Amino acid sequence: MVMITREPEFFPPPINRLGQFGRNVLLTCRNAGRALLMLGEALLDLRFMFSQRSRPEVLHQFYVTGIKSLGVISVVAIFTGMILALQTGLELRKFGQEVNIGVAVMVSMLREMGPFMTALILAASVGSAIAAELGTMVVSEEIAALEVMSIRPVRMLVMPRLAALMIMTPILTFYASMLGVIGGGIVGLTQLGVSIPAYMDNAVRYAENKDLYVGLFKAFVFGIMITIIACHQGFSTTEGAVGVGRATRQSVIISFLSILVVGYIITRLLYE
Amino acid sequence: MIRFEHVTKYFGERTVLDDVSLDIEPGETFVIVGFSGAGKSVTLKHIIRLLTPDLGRVYIGAEAISEATGRDLELLREQFGVLFQGGALLEWLSVGENVALPLRERTAMTDAEIERRVQEKLKLVNLEGVMDAHPSELSGGMRKRVGLARAIVMNPHIILYDEPTSGLDPVTSRAIDQLIERMRQELNVTSVVVTHDLFSALSIGGRIAMISDGRIIEMAKPADFIKSKNEVVKSFLDAQYITKRGVWERGNHETHE
Ligand SMILES: Nc1ncnc2c1ncn2[C@@H]1O[C@H](COP(=O)(O)OP(=O)(O)OP(=O)(O)O)[C@@H](O)[C@H]1O
Ligand SMILES: [Mg+2]
Repeated sequence: MVMITREPEFFPPPINRLGQFGRNVLLTCRNAGRALLMLGEALLDLRFMFSQRSRPEVLHQFYVTGIKSLGVISVVAIFTGMILALQTGLELRKFGQEVNIGVAVMVSMLREMGPFMTALILAASVGSAIAAELGTMVVSEEIAALEVMSIRPVRMLVMPRLAALMIMTPILTFYASMLGVIGGGIVGLTQLGVSIPAYMDNAVRYAENKDLYVGLFKAFVFGIMITIIACHQGFSTTEGAVGVGRATRQSVIISFLSILVVGYIITRLLYE
Repeated sequence: MIRFEHVTKYFGERTVLDDVSLDIEPGETFVIVGFSGAGKSVTLKHIIRLLTPDLGRVYIGAEAISEATGRDLELLREQFGVLFQGGALLEWLSVGENVALPLRERTAMTDAEIERRVQEKLKLVNLEGVMDAHPSELSGGMRKRVGLARAIVMNPHIILYDEPTSGLDPVTSRAIDQLIERMRQELNVTSVVVTHDLFSALSIGGRIAMISDGRIIEMAKPADFIKSKNEVVKSFLDAQYITKRGVWERGNHETHE
Protein backbone atom coordinates (compact mmCIF):
# COMPACT_ATOMS: atom_id res chain seq x y z
CA MET A 1 0.00 0.00 0.00
CA VAL A 2 1.40 3.35 -1.04
CA MET A 3 0.82 6.32 1.21
CA ILE A 4 -0.64 9.14 -0.82
CA THR A 5 -0.54 11.93 1.72
CA ARG A 6 2.91 13.45 1.63
CA GLU A 7 4.70 15.57 4.12
CA PRO A 8 5.71 18.99 2.87
CA GLU A 9 9.22 18.88 1.45
CA PHE A 10 11.87 21.51 1.77
CA PHE A 11 15.17 21.70 -0.08
CA PRO A 12 18.10 23.94 0.61
CA PRO A 13 18.72 26.36 -2.25
CA PRO A 14 20.86 24.67 -4.91
CA ILE A 15 24.53 25.56 -5.05
CA ASN A 16 24.55 26.21 -8.79
CA ARG A 17 22.75 25.48 -12.04
CA LEU A 18 24.20 22.01 -12.23
CA GLY A 19 23.03 21.22 -8.72
CA GLN A 20 19.56 22.43 -9.63
CA PHE A 21 19.56 20.30 -12.76
CA GLY A 22 20.75 17.21 -10.90
CA ARG A 23 18.09 17.64 -8.29
CA ASN A 24 15.39 18.00 -10.90
CA VAL A 25 16.53 14.83 -12.63
CA LEU A 26 16.45 12.90 -9.36
CA LEU A 27 13.05 14.27 -8.42
CA THR A 28 11.68 13.39 -11.85
CA CYS A 29 12.93 9.83 -11.48
CA ARG A 30 11.42 9.57 -8.04
CA ASN A 31 8.09 10.90 -9.22
CA ALA A 32 8.05 8.50 -12.14
CA GLY A 33 8.76 5.68 -9.72
CA ARG A 34 5.94 6.77 -7.44
CA ALA A 35 3.56 7.05 -10.37
CA LEU A 36 4.47 3.53 -11.50
CA LEU A 37 3.94 2.13 -8.00
CA MET A 38 0.55 3.77 -7.92
CA LEU A 39 -0.22 2.31 -11.34
CA GLY A 40 0.67 -1.14 -10.05
CA GLU A 41 -1.61 -0.74 -7.07
CA ALA A 42 -4.44 0.61 -9.22
CA LEU A 43 -4.11 -2.28 -11.68
CA LEU A 44 -4.36 -4.76 -8.81
CA ASP A 45 -7.37 -2.88 -7.53
CA LEU A 46 -9.13 -3.39 -10.85
CA ARG A 47 -10.35 -6.66 -9.38
CA PHE A 48 -12.76 -4.60 -7.28
CA MET A 49 -14.17 -2.94 -10.38
CA PHE A 50 -17.49 -4.74 -10.20
CA SER A 51 -17.73 -4.91 -6.41
CA GLN A 52 -20.85 -3.37 -5.02
CA ARG A 53 -18.95 -0.53 -3.33
CA SER A 54 -17.04 0.58 -6.40
CA ARG A 55 -19.57 -0.01 -9.15
CA PRO A 56 -21.46 3.32 -8.91
CA GLU A 57 -18.23 5.31 -9.05
CA VAL A 58 -16.85 3.22 -11.91
CA LEU A 59 -20.03 3.71 -13.93
CA HIS A 60 -19.97 7.41 -13.18
CA GLN A 61 -16.41 7.67 -14.48
CA PHE A 62 -17.33 5.76 -17.63
CA TYR A 63 -20.09 8.25 -18.18
CA VAL A 64 -17.87 11.27 -17.58
CA THR A 65 -15.06 9.97 -19.78
CA GLY A 66 -17.10 8.44 -22.56
CA ILE A 67 -20.27 10.37 -23.04
CA LYS A 68 -19.13 13.84 -22.08
CA SER A 69 -16.20 13.88 -24.49
CA LEU A 70 -18.20 12.50 -27.40
CA GLY A 71 -19.10 15.88 -28.87
CA VAL A 72 -15.61 17.31 -29.15
CA ILE A 73 -14.16 14.04 -30.33
CA SER A 74 -16.76 13.76 -33.10
CA VAL A 75 -16.06 17.21 -34.47
CA VAL A 76 -12.29 16.84 -34.28
CA ALA A 77 -12.38 13.36 -35.83
CA ILE A 78 -14.51 14.38 -38.84
CA PHE A 79 -12.33 17.37 -39.57
CA THR A 80 -9.14 15.40 -39.15
CA GLY A 81 -10.43 12.89 -41.73
CA MET A 82 -11.45 15.69 -44.06
CA ILE A 83 -8.09 17.42 -43.81
CA LEU A 84 -6.24 14.15 -44.37
CA ALA A 85 -8.31 13.37 -47.45
CA LEU A 86 -7.95 16.84 -48.91
CA GLN A 87 -4.26 17.06 -48.25
CA THR A 88 -3.30 13.66 -49.64
CA GLY A 89 -5.98 13.85 -52.32
CA LEU A 90 -4.58 17.04 -53.83
CA GLU A 91 -1.14 15.47 -54.05
CA LEU A 92 -2.39 12.13 -55.38
CA ARG A 93 -4.45 13.90 -58.06
CA LYS A 94 -1.20 14.96 -59.71
CA PHE A 95 -0.63 11.29 -60.43
CA GLY A 96 -4.26 10.45 -61.11
CA GLN A 97 -4.37 8.34 -57.96
CA GLU A 98 -7.20 10.13 -56.09
CA VAL A 99 -8.94 6.86 -55.31
CA ASN A 100 -6.08 5.92 -52.98
CA ILE A 101 -7.18 8.51 -50.46
CA GLY A 102 -9.36 5.68 -49.13
CA VAL A 103 -6.46 3.69 -47.79
CA ALA A 104 -4.46 6.79 -46.88
CA VAL A 105 -7.22 8.13 -44.64
CA MET A 106 -8.15 4.74 -43.23
CA VAL A 107 -4.62 3.79 -42.26
CA SER A 108 -3.62 7.16 -40.83
CA MET A 109 -6.82 7.41 -38.84
CA LEU A 110 -6.64 3.89 -37.42
CA ARG A 111 -2.97 3.81 -36.66
CA GLU A 112 -1.95 7.38 -35.91
CA MET A 113 -4.48 10.17 -35.94
CA GLY A 114 -7.35 8.34 -34.22
CA PRO A 115 -5.44 7.39 -31.06
CA PHE A 116 -3.45 10.62 -31.10
CA MET A 117 -6.39 13.00 -31.41
CA THR A 118 -8.54 11.07 -28.96
CA ALA A 119 -5.77 10.92 -26.39
CA LEU A 120 -5.01 14.62 -26.70
CA ILE A 121 -8.64 15.52 -26.23
CA LEU A 122 -9.02 13.21 -23.26
CA ALA A 123 -5.79 14.48 -21.67
CA ALA A 124 -6.96 18.06 -22.03
CA SER A 125 -10.50 17.49 -20.80
CA VAL A 126 -10.71 14.42 -18.60
CA GLY A 127 -7.07 14.34 -17.47
CA SER A 128 -6.96 17.97 -16.44
CA ALA A 129 -10.25 17.56 -14.59
CA ILE A 130 -8.85 14.58 -12.69
CA ALA A 131 -5.75 16.51 -11.67
CA ALA A 132 -7.80 19.49 -10.52
CA GLU A 133 -10.29 17.33 -8.64
CA LEU A 134 -7.70 15.27 -6.79
CA GLY A 135 -5.54 18.33 -6.19
CA THR A 136 -8.43 20.11 -4.53
CA MET A 137 -9.05 17.07 -2.40
CA VAL A 138 -5.45 17.07 -1.25
CA VAL A 139 -5.55 20.75 -0.40
CA SER A 140 -8.74 20.46 1.64
CA GLU A 141 -7.31 17.45 3.51
CA GLU A 142 -9.92 15.08 2.09
CA ILE A 143 -7.24 12.63 0.99
CA ALA A 144 -5.65 12.76 4.43
CA ALA A 145 -9.06 12.12 5.95
CA LEU A 146 -9.53 9.06 3.72
CA GLU A 147 -6.15 7.66 4.69
CA VAL A 148 -6.83 8.20 8.35
CA MET A 149 -10.06 6.24 7.93
CA SER A 150 -7.95 3.54 6.24
CA ILE A 151 -9.84 4.00 2.99
CA ARG A 152 -7.29 3.70 0.21
CA PRO A 153 -7.50 6.66 -2.15
CA VAL A 154 -6.09 4.52 -4.95
CA ARG A 155 -8.96 2.07 -4.80
CA MET A 156 -11.58 4.69 -4.26
CA LEU A 157 -10.38 7.38 -6.68
CA VAL A 158 -7.71 6.12 -9.07
CA MET A 159 -9.06 2.69 -9.92
CA PRO A 160 -12.45 3.87 -11.30
CA ARG A 161 -10.75 6.53 -13.40
CA LEU A 162 -8.18 4.07 -14.65
CA ALA A 163 -10.86 1.56 -15.59
CA ALA A 164 -12.82 4.20 -17.45
CA LEU A 165 -9.93 5.67 -19.41
CA MET A 166 -8.33 2.30 -20.13
CA ILE A 167 -11.50 1.00 -21.73
CA MET A 168 -13.05 4.15 -23.13
CA THR A 169 -9.94 5.46 -24.90
CA PRO A 170 -9.78 2.52 -27.36
CA ILE A 171 -13.53 2.64 -27.90
CA LEU A 172 -13.50 6.37 -28.52
CA THR A 173 -10.46 5.94 -30.76
CA PHE A 174 -12.27 3.44 -32.93
CA TYR A 175 -15.26 5.73 -33.07
CA ALA A 176 -13.04 8.69 -33.98
CA SER A 177 -11.27 6.69 -36.70
CA MET A 178 -14.56 5.69 -38.27
CA LEU A 179 -15.85 9.26 -38.23
CA GLY A 180 -12.56 10.37 -39.76
CA VAL A 181 -12.99 7.87 -42.58
CA ILE A 182 -16.50 9.17 -43.17
CA GLY A 183 -15.20 12.73 -43.19
CA GLY A 184 -12.55 11.70 -45.73
CA GLY A 185 -15.21 10.06 -47.86
CA ILE A 186 -17.26 13.24 -47.94
CA VAL A 187 -14.29 15.27 -49.09
CA GLY A 188 -13.43 12.58 -51.63
CA LEU A 189 -16.92 12.74 -53.08
CA THR A 190 -17.37 16.50 -53.10
CA GLN A 191 -13.84 17.78 -53.81
CA LEU A 192 -12.00 15.01 -55.55
CA GLY A 193 -14.70 13.17 -57.42
CA VAL A 194 -14.07 9.77 -55.77
CA SER A 195 -17.34 7.86 -55.37
CA ILE A 196 -18.19 6.49 -51.95
CA PRO A 197 -18.15 2.80 -53.01
CA ALA A 198 -14.75 3.21 -54.69
CA TYR A 199 -13.41 5.03 -51.63
CA MET A 200 -14.66 2.39 -49.21
CA ASP A 201 -13.49 -0.46 -51.38
CA ASN A 202 -10.01 1.02 -51.58
CA ALA A 203 -9.93 1.71 -47.84
CA VAL A 204 -11.03 -1.76 -46.81
CA ARG A 205 -8.96 -3.64 -49.36
CA TYR A 206 -5.57 -2.14 -48.55
CA ALA A 207 -5.83 -1.43 -44.82
CA GLU A 208 -4.65 -4.28 -42.65
CA ASN A 209 -6.06 -5.62 -39.42
CA LYS A 210 -2.73 -4.82 -37.87
CA ASP A 211 -3.36 -1.11 -38.36
CA LEU A 212 -6.51 -1.44 -36.31
CA TYR A 213 -4.85 -3.43 -33.55
CA VAL A 214 -1.87 -1.13 -33.29
CA GLY A 215 -4.19 1.87 -33.02
CA LEU A 216 -6.28 0.26 -30.32
CA PHE A 217 -3.19 -0.82 -28.43
CA LYS A 218 -1.84 2.71 -28.55
CA ALA A 219 -5.13 4.08 -27.30
CA PHE A 220 -5.09 1.61 -24.43
CA VAL A 221 -1.59 2.70 -23.42
CA PHE A 222 -2.49 6.38 -23.78
CA GLY A 223 -5.53 5.87 -21.56
CA ILE A 224 -3.41 4.41 -18.79
CA MET A 225 -0.80 7.14 -19.16
CA ILE A 226 -3.33 9.96 -18.99
CA THR A 227 -4.90 8.57 -15.83
CA ILE A 228 -1.68 7.95 -13.99
CA ILE A 229 -0.10 11.26 -14.92
CA ALA A 230 -3.21 13.18 -13.92
CA CYS A 231 -3.70 11.27 -10.66
CA HIS A 232 -0.06 11.57 -9.72
CA GLN A 233 0.01 15.29 -10.42
CA GLY A 234 -3.22 15.78 -8.49
CA PHE A 235 -1.96 13.85 -5.48
CA SER A 236 1.34 15.77 -5.50
CA THR A 237 -0.42 19.11 -5.16
CA THR A 238 0.89 21.46 -2.51
CA GLU A 239 0.20 25.07 -1.67
CA GLY A 240 -3.50 25.57 -2.06
CA ALA A 241 -5.31 26.91 -5.11
CA VAL A 242 -2.11 27.94 -6.86
CA GLY A 243 -0.90 24.38 -6.49
CA VAL A 244 -4.09 23.00 -8.02
CA GLY A 245 -3.59 25.24 -11.04
CA ARG A 246 -0.01 24.10 -11.40
CA ALA A 247 -0.92 20.42 -11.04
CA THR A 248 -3.55 20.77 -13.75
CA ARG A 249 -1.21 22.52 -16.15
CA GLN A 250 1.60 20.06 -15.49
CA SER A 251 -0.67 17.11 -16.00
CA VAL A 252 -1.77 18.37 -19.43
CA ILE A 253 1.75 19.22 -20.55
CA ILE A 254 3.29 15.95 -19.38
CA SER A 255 0.44 13.94 -20.93
CA PHE A 256 0.82 15.72 -24.29
CA LEU A 257 4.54 15.13 -24.41
CA SER A 258 4.28 11.50 -23.34
CA ILE A 259 1.53 10.81 -25.86
CA LEU A 260 3.71 12.16 -28.67
CA VAL A 261 6.83 10.30 -27.62
CA VAL A 262 5.20 7.00 -26.70
CA GLY A 263 3.06 7.11 -29.85
CA TYR A 264 6.18 7.43 -31.95
CA ILE A 265 7.95 4.65 -30.07
CA ILE A 266 5.06 2.22 -30.49
CA THR A 267 4.78 2.85 -34.23
CA ARG A 268 8.51 2.52 -34.56
CA LEU A 269 8.64 -0.77 -32.66
CA LEU A 270 5.71 -2.37 -34.43
CA TYR A 271 6.48 -1.26 -37.99
CA GLU A 272 10.20 -1.79 -38.23
CA MET B 1 -2.54 6.12 25.82
CA ILE B 2 -0.92 8.73 23.59
CA ARG B 3 2.67 9.55 24.38
CA PHE B 4 5.05 11.99 22.73
CA GLU B 5 8.70 11.39 23.53
CA HIS B 6 10.86 14.37 22.70
CA VAL B 7 9.18 14.97 19.38
CA THR B 8 10.89 17.49 17.16
CA LYS B 9 9.71 18.42 13.69
CA TYR B 10 11.37 20.67 11.16
CA PHE B 11 9.74 22.22 8.15
CA GLY B 12 12.80 23.22 6.19
CA GLU B 13 14.77 25.59 8.36
CA ARG B 14 11.90 26.15 10.77
CA THR B 15 11.38 24.10 13.91
CA VAL B 16 7.62 23.67 14.20
CA LEU B 17 7.70 21.26 17.12
CA ASP B 18 10.56 21.58 19.55
CA ASP B 19 11.16 18.68 21.91
CA VAL B 20 7.51 18.07 22.77
CA SER B 21 6.78 15.41 25.34
CA LEU B 22 3.32 14.56 26.57
CA ASP B 23 1.42 11.69 28.02
CA ILE B 24 -2.32 11.58 27.52
CA GLU B 25 -4.18 9.19 29.81
CA PRO B 26 -6.96 6.85 28.67
CA GLY B 27 -10.31 8.52 29.21
CA GLU B 28 -8.80 11.95 29.48
CA THR B 29 -9.89 15.04 27.59
CA PHE B 30 -6.66 16.76 26.69
CA VAL B 31 -6.96 20.27 25.35
CA ILE B 32 -4.32 22.04 23.30
CA VAL B 33 -4.51 25.80 23.02
CA GLY B 34 -2.19 28.32 21.46
CA PHE B 35 -1.87 31.17 19.03
CA SER B 36 -2.51 30.70 15.36
CA GLY B 37 0.46 29.01 13.72
CA ALA B 38 1.84 27.75 17.02
CA GLY B 39 1.88 24.11 15.93
CA LYS B 40 -1.42 22.75 17.24
CA SER B 41 -2.58 21.08 14.04
CA VAL B 42 0.92 19.80 13.45
CA THR B 43 0.85 18.14 16.87
CA LEU B 44 -2.49 16.54 16.11
CA LYS B 45 -1.20 15.26 12.77
CA HIS B 46 1.68 13.53 14.50
CA ILE B 47 -0.74 11.53 16.60
CA ILE B 48 -2.25 9.85 13.51
CA ARG B 49 0.97 9.78 11.55
CA LEU B 50 0.01 12.25 8.89
CA LEU B 51 3.36 13.70 9.86
CA THR B 52 6.40 11.79 11.08
CA PRO B 53 8.68 13.28 13.72
CA ASP B 54 12.24 14.10 12.70
CA LEU B 55 13.40 13.28 16.20
CA GLY B 56 11.60 11.40 18.96
CA ARG B 57 8.66 9.04 18.87
CA VAL B 58 4.91 8.98 19.18
CA TYR B 59 3.30 6.01 20.92
CA ILE B 60 -0.30 4.87 20.89
CA GLY B 61 -0.56 2.50 23.82
CA ALA B 62 2.56 0.40 23.52
CA GLU B 63 2.98 0.78 19.76
CA ALA B 64 5.11 3.44 18.15
CA ILE B 65 2.82 4.87 15.48
CA SER B 66 5.66 7.07 14.30
CA GLU B 67 7.42 3.93 13.04
CA ALA B 68 4.44 1.83 11.97
CA THR B 69 3.77 0.98 8.33
CA GLY B 70 1.24 -0.90 6.24
CA ARG B 71 -1.18 -3.09 8.11
CA ASP B 72 0.12 -2.07 11.56
CA LEU B 73 -0.53 1.56 10.82
CA GLU B 74 -3.98 0.71 9.56
CA LEU B 75 -4.79 -1.15 12.78
CA LEU B 76 -3.54 1.74 14.90
CA ARG B 77 -5.52 4.25 12.90
CA GLU B 78 -8.66 2.18 13.29
CA GLN B 79 -8.87 3.31 16.90
CA PHE B 80 -9.20 6.95 15.90
CA GLY B 81 -11.89 9.32 14.85
CA VAL B 82 -10.53 12.56 13.45
CA LEU B 83 -12.20 15.89 12.88
CA PHE B 84 -10.10 17.98 10.50
CA GLN B 85 -9.90 21.73 10.81
CA GLY B 86 -11.89 22.31 7.62
CA GLY B 87 -14.19 19.30 7.96
CA ALA B 88 -12.58 17.48 5.00
CA LEU B 89 -15.90 16.30 3.57
CA LEU B 90 -15.96 14.65 0.15
CA GLU B 91 -17.73 17.16 -2.08
CA TRP B 92 -19.37 14.74 -4.46
CA LEU B 93 -21.07 12.73 -1.73
CA SER B 94 -24.12 13.87 0.17
CA VAL B 95 -23.96 14.58 3.90
CA GLY B 96 -25.45 11.19 4.69
CA GLU B 97 -23.02 9.39 2.41
CA ASN B 98 -20.10 11.28 3.91
CA VAL B 99 -21.00 10.21 7.41
CA ALA B 100 -21.73 6.68 6.23
CA LEU B 101 -18.45 6.40 4.34
CA PRO B 102 -16.34 4.65 7.02
CA LEU B 103 -19.20 2.28 7.76
CA ARG B 104 -19.66 1.45 4.06
CA GLU B 105 -15.98 0.95 3.40
CA ARG B 106 -14.83 -0.68 6.58
CA THR B 107 -17.71 -2.68 8.00
CA ALA B 108 -20.23 -5.24 6.81
CA MET B 109 -23.24 -3.36 8.18
CA THR B 110 -26.47 -3.45 6.19
CA ASP B 111 -27.92 -0.33 4.61
CA ALA B 112 -30.62 -0.11 7.26
CA GLU B 113 -28.14 -0.29 10.12
CA ILE B 114 -25.92 2.28 8.46
CA GLU B 115 -28.84 4.61 7.94
CA ARG B 116 -29.84 4.32 11.57
CA ARG B 117 -26.32 4.92 12.84
CA VAL B 118 -25.83 7.94 10.56
CA GLN B 119 -29.07 9.50 11.74
CA GLU B 120 -28.16 8.92 15.34
CA LYS B 121 -24.79 10.64 14.94
CA LEU B 122 -26.17 13.56 12.97
CA LYS B 123 -28.68 14.06 15.73
CA LEU B 124 -25.88 14.16 18.29
CA VAL B 125 -24.32 17.12 16.49
CA ASN B 126 -27.66 18.91 16.14
CA LEU B 127 -27.94 18.34 12.43
CA GLU B 128 -31.10 16.73 11.26
CA GLY B 129 -32.78 16.90 7.90
CA VAL B 130 -29.64 17.65 5.92
CA MET B 131 -28.93 14.02 5.03
CA ASP B 132 -29.38 14.60 1.31
CA ALA B 133 -27.75 18.00 1.05
CA HIS B 134 -24.30 18.26 -0.46
CA PRO B 135 -21.41 19.73 1.53
CA SER B 136 -21.21 22.74 -0.80
CA GLU B 137 -24.71 23.75 0.27
CA LEU B 138 -23.79 23.87 3.95
CA SER B 139 -22.37 26.67 6.07
CA GLY B 140 -18.89 26.35 7.53
CA GLY B 141 -20.22 25.45 10.96
CA MET B 142 -22.54 22.82 9.53
CA ARG B 143 -19.71 21.23 7.55
CA LYS B 144 -17.66 21.05 10.70
CA ARG B 145 -20.47 19.28 12.49
CA VAL B 146 -20.89 16.80 9.64
CA GLY B 147 -17.14 16.16 9.93
CA LEU B 148 -17.64 15.60 13.63
CA ALA B 149 -20.47 13.15 12.99
CA ARG B 150 -18.21 11.26 10.58
CA ALA B 151 -15.40 11.24 13.14
CA ILE B 152 -17.57 9.53 15.75
CA VAL B 153 -19.60 7.28 13.48
CA MET B 154 -17.36 4.24 13.99
CA ASN B 155 -17.53 4.69 17.78
CA PRO B 156 -13.77 5.14 18.07
CA HIS B 157 -12.19 5.24 21.48
CA ILE B 158 -9.76 8.03 20.70
CA ILE B 159 -11.07 11.16 19.03
CA LEU B 160 -8.98 14.06 17.76
CA TYR B 161 -10.73 17.35 17.24
CA ASP B 162 -9.12 20.21 15.36
CA GLU B 163 -11.07 23.27 16.44
CA PRO B 164 -14.49 21.63 16.87
CA THR B 165 -16.24 24.83 17.89
CA SER B 166 -14.59 27.51 15.78
CA GLY B 167 -17.14 29.13 13.53
CA LEU B 168 -20.08 27.83 15.53
CA ASP B 169 -22.62 29.91 17.40
CA PRO B 170 -22.33 29.85 21.21
CA VAL B 171 -25.31 27.56 21.73
CA THR B 172 -24.07 24.93 19.29
CA SER B 173 -20.55 25.29 20.68
CA ARG B 174 -21.75 24.41 24.14
CA ALA B 175 -23.71 21.48 22.72
CA ILE B 176 -20.50 20.18 21.12
CA ASP B 177 -18.67 20.66 24.42
CA GLN B 178 -21.35 18.62 26.14
CA LEU B 179 -21.09 15.95 23.48
CA ILE B 180 -17.35 15.62 24.06
CA GLU B 181 -17.86 15.51 27.80
CA ARG B 182 -20.66 12.96 27.54
CA MET B 183 -18.60 10.64 25.36
CA ARG B 184 -15.88 10.78 27.95
CA GLN B 185 -18.20 9.97 30.80
CA GLU B 186 -20.33 7.33 29.12
CA LEU B 187 -17.89 5.64 26.76
CA ASN B 188 -14.56 6.52 28.36
CA VAL B 189 -13.42 8.07 25.11
CA THR B 190 -9.99 9.69 25.07
CA SER B 191 -10.13 13.06 23.36
CA VAL B 192 -7.54 15.49 22.17
CA VAL B 193 -9.09 18.84 21.43
CA VAL B 194 -7.35 21.70 19.68
CA THR B 195 -9.20 24.92 20.25
CA HIS B 196 -8.97 28.69 20.40
CA ASP B 197 -12.00 28.81 22.59
CA LEU B 198 -10.71 29.06 26.15
CA PHE B 199 -14.17 28.86 27.52
CA SER B 200 -14.66 25.38 26.13
CA ALA B 201 -11.06 24.45 26.92
CA LEU B 202 -11.63 25.25 30.57
CA SER B 203 -14.98 23.55 30.75
CA ILE B 204 -14.15 20.25 29.05
CA GLY B 205 -10.42 19.91 29.59
CA GLY B 206 -8.96 17.45 32.05
CA ARG B 207 -5.65 19.08 31.33
CA ILE B 208 -4.80 22.00 29.13
CA ALA B 209 -1.53 22.41 27.31
CA MET B 210 -0.51 25.63 25.70
CA ILE B 211 1.78 25.48 22.71
CA SER B 212 3.78 28.48 21.64
CA ASP B 213 6.34 28.39 18.85
CA GLY B 214 6.32 24.62 18.82
CA ARG B 215 7.00 24.25 22.50
CA ILE B 216 4.71 23.32 25.36
CA ILE B 217 4.93 26.27 27.68
CA GLU B 218 2.26 25.24 30.15
CA MET B 219 0.42 22.02 30.91
CA ALA B 220 -1.98 21.96 33.83
CA LYS B 221 -5.48 21.25 35.06
CA PRO B 222 -7.93 24.04 34.25
CA ALA B 223 -7.92 25.42 37.78
CA ASP B 224 -4.14 25.70 37.73
CA PHE B 225 -3.95 26.77 34.13
CA ILE B 226 -5.73 30.05 34.79
CA LYS B 227 -3.34 30.75 37.64
CA SER B 228 -0.30 30.19 35.44
CA LYS B 229 2.70 32.41 36.07
CA ASN B 230 3.84 32.17 32.45
CA GLU B 231 3.61 35.57 30.76
CA VAL B 232 2.48 34.17 27.41
CA VAL B 233 -0.27 32.13 29.05
CA LYS B 234 -1.34 35.18 31.02
CA SER B 235 -1.62 37.31 27.91
CA PHE B 236 -3.57 34.52 26.24
CA LEU B 237 -5.98 34.37 29.18
CA ASP B 238 -6.28 38.13 29.46
CA ALA B 239 -7.14 38.44 25.81
CA GLN B 240 -10.23 36.33 26.45
CA TYR B 241 -11.10 38.05 29.75
CA ILE B 242 -10.63 34.89 31.73
CA THR B 243 -9.21 35.88 35.05
CA LYS B 244 -11.06 33.98 37.65
CA ARG B 245 -12.46 30.55 37.98
CA GLY B 246 -16.11 31.47 38.39
CA VAL B 247 -16.57 32.61 34.80
CA TRP B 248 -16.28 29.20 33.28
CA GLU B 249 -17.06 26.76 36.04
CA ARG B 250 -20.09 24.62 35.47
CA GLY B 251 -19.64 22.18 38.29
CA ASN B 252 -18.86 19.06 36.28
CA HIS B 253 -15.16 18.91 36.99
CA GLU B 254 -15.02 16.88 40.13
CA THR B 255 -14.58 13.83 37.94
CA HIS B 256 -11.29 15.20 36.70
CA GLU B 257 -9.83 16.28 39.98
N1 LIG C 1 2.13 21.89 4.92
C1 LIG C 1 2.90 22.84 5.49
N2 LIG C 1 3.94 23.36 4.82
C2 LIG C 1 4.72 24.30 5.37
N3 LIG C 1 4.54 24.79 6.59
C3 LIG C 1 3.52 24.32 7.33
C4 LIG C 1 2.64 23.31 6.80
N4 LIG C 1 1.72 23.05 7.76
C5 LIG C 1 2.01 23.85 8.80
N5 LIG C 1 3.09 24.61 8.55
C6 LIG C 1 3.70 25.59 9.47
O1 LIG C 1 3.78 25.02 10.75
C7 LIG C 1 3.38 25.95 11.73
C8 LIG C 1 2.34 25.33 12.62
O2 LIG C 1 1.18 25.13 11.88
P1 LIG C 1 -0.16 24.57 12.50
O3 LIG C 1 -1.07 24.25 11.37
O4 LIG C 1 0.13 23.50 13.46
O5 LIG C 1 -0.72 25.84 13.28
P2 LIG C 1 -1.97 25.88 14.27
O6 LIG C 1 -1.44 26.02 15.64
O7 LIG C 1 -2.86 24.73 14.00
O8 LIG C 1 -2.65 27.23 13.83
P3 LIG C 1 -4.21 27.55 13.60
O9 LIG C 1 -4.76 27.84 14.93
O10 LIG C 1 -4.19 28.76 12.74
O11 LIG C 1 -4.82 26.38 12.94
C9 LIG C 1 2.85 27.18 11.01
O12 LIG C 1 3.73 28.23 11.25
C10 LIG C 1 2.84 26.81 9.56
O13 LIG C 1 3.41 27.87 8.83
MG1 LIG D 1 -4.63 24.41 13.03
